Amino acid sequence: MVEQAYSRTRILVVLAILLVLILADHLKSPTFAFNSGQGNVETALTQRDETACAPCGAPCPSTRD
Amino acid sequence: MTESAVAQPPLFGGRWQIDRFVVSTALAGVALLGGLIWLETAPFMVALFVIGTVLGIALYHGAFGFTAGWRNLVVHRKGAGMRAQLLLFGLSSLIMVPLLHSGQEGLIGAVAPVGTSLVVGSFLFGLGMQLGGGCGSGTLFTVGAGNIRMVITLVFFIIGTVVGSIHLPWWLDQPGVDPISLVTPLGVSGAILAQWLGLGLIAFWVNRTERKAHGSVERAALLWQAPSHGLVRTLLTGRWPFTWAILVLALGNALTLAIGGSPWSITFAFNVWGAKALEAVGVNMGQFEFWQWEYPAMALKDSVLTNIPSVMNFGVLLGAMLAAGLANRFNEASRNRPEPRQFYAAVIGGLLLGYGARLGFGCNIGALFSGIASASVHAWIWFACAFVGSLIGIRLRPWFRLPN
Repeated sequence: MVEQAYSRTRILVVLAILLVLILADHLKSPTFAFNSGQGNVETALTQRDETACAPCGAPCPSTRD
Repeated sequence: MTESAVAQPPLFGGRWQIDRFVVSTALAGVALLGGLIWLETAPFMVALFVIGTVLGIALYHGAFGFTAGWRNLVVHRKGAGMRAQLLLFGLSSLIMVPLLHSGQEGLIGAVAPVGTSLVVGSFLFGLGMQLGGGCGSGTLFTVGAGNIRMVITLVFFIIGTVVGSIHLPWWLDQPGVDPISLVTPLGVSGAILAQWLGLGLIAFWVNRTERKAHGSVERAALLWQAPSHGLVRTLLTGRWPFTWAILVLALGNALTLAIGGSPWSITFAFNVWGAKALEAVGVNMGQFEFWQWEYPAMALKDSVLTNIPSVMNFGVLLGAMLAAGLANRFNEASRNRPEPRQFYAAVIGGLLLGYGARLGFGCNIGALFSGIASASVHAWIWFACAFVGSLIGIRLRPWFRLPN
């Protein structure tokens, strides 16, 4: 039998922590509030800024003072 | 283009054995997260998550690491990896430049300003690639495949992007000009032809370098046909010929553009994750100019499940985990503990990668691959500066006890 290069428990714990972090982030988000029926929240499902000059949302150098 | 951070089987041979635990865990993760995205966001986000998963499989099974491809060319004078990258850029350019200029509303290319920030950022990124052991995609898929040293690189990559985001406004105030698209002066066909010419010249230099050192150019890695153990098995367990990975990566990026509205990017998600972590411990990220810009502010405020790069990164991680499990090589590259100097290299490399990615408007995927696929001049400058940085990184690797 080949010796495993990892611990199964450690992998499950790491993945569980990541899932909890994702859930914690989501549960306090406007999208979750919107899905729960709360109105008057601004969600950002399509996060776009078509006026930005770079994929990260940076403005154009020409627009800076 | 086998990266030292990736344990990959050779192209031929071996008995078929999968790691059932890793495969079932990865599949459960895909189902769980995919279901959550489906319930809480929209079907197009599920599609992008699935594309991310397939891209993760392709990166792992194709051993498609940009870092090792560049290093193999410089150190061993072997150009197979670099040729695969050039083919990928050429194919993506052919598909995505016309798509971006087809008149379809809502599609935005990966274009970015050209200036001091880009030059410094891409140079630092190239240096960090060689010390950290991977680029944006390389770091992500090797972490998914269970490489511990790359987890360290990823953590410091994230820290670097956050520091870079705080400094970016200052760098943007240094000399620079607005984005330049090759389509503006040359038209769609002219831009594609000009890019092919550029890629062809690089390929000519790569081939000449290899021929000079070895007498011939290695073609086996680009084979289209499946190796001896059959198509299905190779598809599931790897290792894929570069041609397969090139096709999947090019189509994946084009689909990302068509479905998500902008090409594939990776490092912005690291920025968001780092900023959210700081906010969780009480730091007000809104005090920094970067996080007041519309897109970063939206991404910081809302769920990571609504952020396309984050969702796709989750897919890449799980896809690479699945692929490593199918190849029965999960965590294989971590059997030997890293030496202290290798640990320092991961820390320094990660910081340089993150800081460089933010200043350089992305990594090898967001700036280079997607940038060339968008016919943006910034991608070519990124390529040149990152390669120079990489040359220095390669020279520094032996001091950090990293094999060349």
